[in-house]
Amino acid sequence: MTDVLGNTLNLQYELLLPEIILAITAVVVLTLDAFKKELRVGYNSLPFVSVLGLVGAAVATLLLLDNRGNFALLIELDDFTTFFRLLFIGTAAVLIIGSYEYIERHVSHVGEFFALILLSTVGAIYMAAARDLLTAYLAVEVLSFSLYVAVSLAKNDPRSGEAALKYVLLGGVASAMLLYGLSLLYGVAGSTQYAEISEALAAGTGDVTLPLLLGLVLIVGGLGFKAAAVPFHNYAPDAYEGAPLPVTMYLSATSKAATFALILRWFAGPLLPAVDDWAWMLAAIAVATMVIGNLVALQQHNIKRLLAYSSISQVGYMLMAVTALAPDTGVATSGAVLVHMVGYLVTNLVVFVGVIHFYNKTGKEEISDFRGLAQTNPYLALTLTAGLFSLAGMPLLAGFFTKFILFQAVASADYLWLVIVGVVASTVSLYYYLQVIKQMYLYEPLVPGRWRLSATGYLTTGVLFFFMVAIGIWGAPLYEVADAAAGAIFFV
Amino acid sequence: MDSTGIVIGFWVLSAITVVSSLLVLVARNLMHALAFLVLAFLGMAGLFITLSADFVAVAQVLIYAGSISVLMVFAVMLTPLASRDNGNSLYVLPGVVAGLGIASLVAFVAVDTEWAERTGAALAESDFASTVGEVGRLLLGRYVLAFEVASVLLLIGLLGAIVLVQERRRAATQSPDEAADTGARDGGAL
Repeated sequence: MTDVLGNTLNLQYELLLPEIILAITAVVVLTLDAFKKELRVGYNSLPFVSVLGLVGAAVATLLLLDNRGNFALLIELDDFTTFFRLLFIGTAAVLIIGSYEYIERHVSHVGEFFALILLSTVGAIYMAAARDLLTAYLAVEVLSFSLYVAVSLAKNDPRSGEAALKYVLLGGVASAMLLYGLSLLYGVAGSTQYAEISEALAAGTGDVTLPLLLGLVLIVGGLGFKAAAVPFHNYAPDAYEGAPLPVTMYLSATSKAATFALILRWFAGPLLPAVDDWAWMLAAIAVATMVIGNLVALQQHNIKRLLAYSSISQVGYMLMAVTALAPDTGVATSGAVLVHMVGYLVTNLVVFVGVIHFYNKTGKEEISDFRGLAQTNPYLALTLTAGLFSLAGMPLLAGFFTKFILFQAVASADYLWLVIVGVVASTVSLYYYLQVIKQMYLYEPLVPGRWRLSATGYLTTGVLFFFMVAIGIWGAPLYEVADAAAGAIFFV
Repeated sequence: MDSTGIVIGFWVLSAITVVSSLLVLVARNLMHALAFLVLAFLGMAGLFITLSADFVAVAQVLIYAGSISVLMVFAVMLTPLASRDNGNSLYVLPGVVAGLGIASLVAFVAVDTEWAERTGAALAESDFASTVGEVGRLLLGRYVLAFEVASVLLLIGLLGAIVLVQERRRAATQSPDEAADTGARDGGAL
């Protein structure tokens, strides 16, 4: 098929199979939820069907592993897309399996919640897969809108509505900024196709420095908001604190990873010829994010806010690497971002699933509530400790290996001063992670008595714990996969 | 932009759009602000027509000037005191300064740049009689995926609207047992 401009289009719908499965599952979940009395299904069938859909999508992804190409010039199916498909599907599955007890008890509108998670996964995947600004922007909105709604779904928590309102208002402004930046970029490059933008910017025809610069400022601002980088982070702690815990987990995992998938696609692809115009912006934001994220985290006493600031500082480390995306060392650097992203995701999910199960048992979320957890639930205390140490970057755990790869890549791209800031900031971070560990191990519990996790709690934390240690000890396979994925996004 | 008629039309429509957008901000009465907003939407539609984007212009009139503004009128009418007592914000001065700064920056960039415009022959070559057919073909052909993703977005918007509005009613009638309990208690009290 050809379009009006004479481009040959590839309309192979089977390339979209994983997302089609996810969207259909979402509709099935909504229907089951709406007719649960007539169909005599219990609430447990909703997470079950959702996970089934996710497994189906993962299988479809693996079947399409060698099926590369693009769909109608809108979506690129390459190793990078496959990488993120599996990552996002896995995250959604962990979220649903790890926290369905929480969701049933503390989330209003359970069916809609699962549907939103599934649909937002579609948005996240297309953020990574887009090869046209149109699809990329639509995918950003799909993910953002599901999260605006999901943040407001905490049952009986007045902070939830406030968080959702802040998030939707500021998110709308950020989307407008992003869109305006994209329209300026379109004005400069004359196309919305990534490949054509790259060519136009590389050719550098005409006097376009000023609009390009303004466009880049707006794009970086919009993306900075979506990734919660300083100084666009102000909404994040409030949104994280007010949202139901699984949504907080999702905000800090899929939402961040999808934004970085988009950032890598854009800054390593179409925007790479203009590297001199944006590298300094990202460097400044990365430094501010690492420093402020870590320093403000020191004062937090709510575990959700602590993890919010901790995830902000992790964004700083990854932005630092995006800054260093020079054309010659770019593949290694973006591969390092992917490695760190996986390490961060696995670690963060361990911590969050642990906190969710702690909340299921106690209903508390202050750091001081964790006192004596080593006596009441040694397994959970150990898992949380390992997760927090991994976030801080201790050896033998995923966080160390991935941070090492990341810092090394940035250093070899001649940004040694950024690495020094990063190392100092990450040393500071050890302090506030240790505060939580201190509460768990050095104090007597308020309410004595052993308790256990649910079976799914053991399953999810166990599997994630295994991956966290495995990546920390033997990270070579992950590195190879990430390198192959990163190689796909460069045009030159 | 070749003929004088188009040039005059462009400037008149731009003036209408910009002035009425500013009046939206200045108007104290929300209903007046809404009326100016509709005017701004219509001005935008006119600007689309000067760009030969007839489909977008009609959609702008139907969707924005038509349904969305009616929706907003309903929202204002149904919200008590929404259209009165709108006091000043503390941030008027910084807001005006920042707004003027951004506007002048954008205007400078837009005027200063030599945009790669399509003019004369190139423009005449891609001349459509009407864009409606072509937009339709593109939406369900080349951009079918974007169209479907947009429909997913609308589904999410619909879900969000229902979920947020339904909140209170559902909490009250959530479990039939509880409802029966309160009913019995009320009956007992009587």
